[in-house]
Amino acid sequence: MTAPRTAAWGALAAALLLAGCASVSPDGLRSQVQTLADGRSAGVAAPALPSADPAARARADAAIVQWLAGPLAADDAVRIALLRNPGLQARLAALGVADAQRVQALTLPNPTLTLGRFRSGHEREIERTLGLGLIDLVTLPWRTRWQGQQMEQATLDAAQDVVRLAFDTRRAWLRAVAAEQVAATQERMHEAADAGAELARRMARVGNWSRLQQAREQALWADSAAQLARARLDAATEREQLSRLMGLWGPAAHYTLPDRLPNLPVEPEASEGIEARALRERLDVRAARLELDRVADTEGFAGVAPWAGGIGLAYTRNTTTEQDTGHADVKRGWEVELAVPLFDWGGAARSQARGRTLQSAAQLQDVALRARSEARTAWLGYRTAYDLARQQRDAVVPLRRFISEETTLRYNGMLASVWQMLAEARASSQAVANALQAQRDFWLAEADLQRALAGTSGGASSAVASTALPGAAAGRAANPESQGH
Amino acid sequence: MKRRHFFSGAATAVAAASVGRAALAALPEIPQHGSADTAVPPAPPTGRPFRPVVTLNGWSLPWRMNAGVKEFHLVAEPVVREFAPGFVAHLWGYNGQSPGPTIEVVEGDRVRIFVTNRLPEHTSVHWHGQRLPNGMDGVSGLNQPAIPAGKTFVYEFTARRPGTFMYHPHADEMTQMAMGLMGLWITHPRLDARGRHPLIATADRDYAFLLNAFAVEAGTRTPRVNEMTDFNIWAWNSRVFPGISPLVARRGERVRVRVGNLTMTNHPIHIHGHEFEVTGTDGGAVPPGARWPEVTTDIAVGQMRQIEFVADEPGDWAVHCHKSHHTMGAMGHDVPTMIGVDHRGLVAKIQKIVPDYMVMGERGMADMGAMEMPLPENTLPMMTGTGPYGPLEMGGMFSVLKVREHLAAGDWRDPGDYVQPPGTQAWEWQGAAADLPPAPAAPAASTAPQAGAATVRKPGPGGTGHAH
Repeated sequence: MTAPRTAAWGALAAALLLAGCASVSPDGLRSQVQTLADGRSAGVAAPALPSADPAARARADAAIVQWLAGPLAADDAVRIALLRNPGLQARLAALGVADAQRVQALTLPNPTLTLGRFRSGHEREIERTLGLGLIDLVTLPWRTRWQGQQMEQATLDAAQDVVRLAFDTRRAWLRAVAAEQVAATQERMHEAADAGAELARRMARVGNWSRLQQAREQALWADSAAQLARARLDAATEREQLSRLMGLWGPAAHYTLPDRLPNLPVEPEASEGIEARALRERLDVRAARLELDRVADTEGFAGVAPWAGGIGLAYTRNTTTEQDTGHADVKRGWEVELAVPLFDWGGAARSQARGRTLQSAAQLQDVALRARSEARTAWLGYRTAYDLARQQRDAVVPLRRFISEETTLRYNGMLASVWQMLAEARASSQAVANALQAQRDFWLAEADLQRALAGTSGGASSAVASTALPGAAAGRAANPESQGH
Repeated sequence: MKRRHFFSGAATAVAAASVGRAALAALPEIPQHGSADTAVPPAPPTGRPFRPVVTLNGWSLPWRMNAGVKEFHLVAEPVVREFAPGFVAHLWGYNGQSPGPTIEVVEGDRVRIFVTNRLPEHTSVHWHGQRLPNGMDGVSGLNQPAIPAGKTFVYEFTARRPGTFMYHPHADEMTQMAMGLMGLWITHPRLDARGRHPLIATADRDYAFLLNAFAVEAGTRTPRVNEMTDFNIWAWNSRVFPGISPLVARRGERVRVRVGNLTMTNHPIHIHGHEFEVTGTDGGAVPPGARWPEVTTDIAVGQMRQIEFVADEPGDWAVHCHKSHHTMGAMGHDVPTMIGVDHRGLVAKIQKIVPDYMVMGERGMADMGAMEMPLPENTLPMMTGTGPYGPLEMGGMFSVLKVREHLAAGDWRDPGDYVQPPGTQAWEWQGAAADLPPAPAAPAASTAPQAGAATVRKPGPGGTGHAH
């Protein structure tokens, strides 16, 4: 009797130990998310995520104030967004909830103690049964593993949202900076049109020009005024978008942006090994692979579970007391409860599990295919954007500038009119604006490439509901479904 | 002005020719001229004597006598011509220059001209105004086959009548003349025993030039050959003021100026300070009874005029085409009039966009004469040249007749600026305005013009180009 008793208590202790191990992560898995996002956060090394710790939050707030004091750098914008974006905070909180739910799911059901007092004619029976559903205990190691995998996957999903937010913020920063610069060039163009129109008005006033000639300059002025209004709206909208991603409002949103985009790199990145790198590093590929592992892992168990589901163990101690004699008789014993696999042999469950495995395998294949394709597309976009930006900067702008200067020389020699000179100055400013946009497009393409190679697909996270940016990467359009991995 | 050795460039020219050396062995050598300066020709070393003309910014072609025939060798070829310091053009010319060298012969001379074609296309030479056999008239297709590129043709005739003539291509004529292919021909009269001619006086100074026009866009070097009317370079002997040599004379000398027009419009040539007579045309000498005094004579397209006068007024006298646009350099014909347009408040605004901007034309265009602003390459300011009293504000068809008291007979050098005797120059009124004699006003008009509407203008022609 002693040996089984010891064994039973030992098993119970082991189960309790196991169950106790499944504890809630103290920071809601944020450090895991951070580790995964590191190196994938739009070029920002080890960005911090919002912490539950008040001291850390205070430090972060102080840093944000400092970053916002000067012209806001792209990296700092990303850092602020990761710390302040409410959507991301909600997402991380949800991850903590999921972790607690996981721990909850791994907690063993409490044993049942059944007490009974029965009376018959001459005896009184007191029944004590301590019962324990064994199935949860027996499957605990597997379930612990699967729950772990599931959490790992949830962590990966959250990390992808971090990555997306980082890249979206970087893109928003690029667009906001470029839009401000473009608005500044439009300002210059409008000034040129304004001077031309005013001079034309004075020409007409003294009779040197007809109203028709004046009207032509006036029409140019009206066009450029409309263009300037659009450019200003564009700059405000892009800036607003950036502020929203950074979770800023009120006085904090009155930051300044740098007056220029980063220079183009001397050499563009080569295309060697980009597909391999995407398969190796992308989080969505990793998540799909993990999902397949988990589903395959559960497959074997699925067929057994239906008839193995009812395993129960109970220890009973019944005391029967003779009422007359007061003689008490104690009855002890073990009870094992098993399901009889009469109807459900688990065939359906097995098919279901097999189907799930196939589904996961196909999904992994799909994600890998998309990762390869996105890597190629992103690189092509990156390379073309580089060439276009170089051409604008090295050929078009100098040409326009030269034309403008030569026209000024012709104005000097009374070979060209002041309006021709102003028109060329406008065209020159337009070329500068086009070059700025080409430079911006290059950096946007660069961000898309980095995300496609190391991060994830471009789909916007459902949790970090960032409004889709106009003209976003082709990768996003190709991947409307964001959480389908 | 220096005397030039005409034969210096001959050897290199032959070596560079596409025409074979052997083929040219029997030909007269090809004199070349390498400068746009006026080269005063020497007295004729062979043949009948004559007093050579001085071709402004040009030269006269040397010849050789071959069994009593005067042999010349003209080579039509691409040349680089300096129109004025700072402005050169890629033209076609003869023997290194555009226009080609002046051919000078004497009435009755038998003349043989070898014409070698080093142009990329065929050519021919028409001897404008000459009496000659029909097959020597030079109209390709009509009188002769064109001279193919690389070939040499021979023209031979007797210079039958004295006068001032021209030569120019008559094959792809518009293009080749637009490129500057042309030259002067002078047939000096045969003189009697006393050294006289009944209709042609002996001149102490005999100047000659051709009027020619080009369309050279600012910043370019080659004329637009397809231009018909809107030319911008108005030249004498492919030269523009201030690049044109002055006409120099000693006081009392008889001066003859021969002018031929190979542009596409007429040119009223005007000489200050003197009256002159037109003593001849390309048709010959004008009978004395048919001459009348003039200060301006219009030279129509394709015409020549021979002007004579006695230079008896010392000073620096302007000589120019009286079409005022022809005394301008390259200018934008579409540039609107800016006179009277208030620029206040706009200059800084425009300078923000075009930092080098300066206001021009607000008060008129005189600023252009003095302003030194960067221009497109190979472009002269549209009016330039400076005299002892400031900018001349001239360009194109403009030169100066310099009459001086003391000047050696053979001295053709620029004597410098004329210094007026005291009290003979316009001066600034230094007295009070009230002391000025009253300026009578025009009688009051029936309808007084409104303020600001003083300049009522009739609508002008709609075209952009001005009629030259």
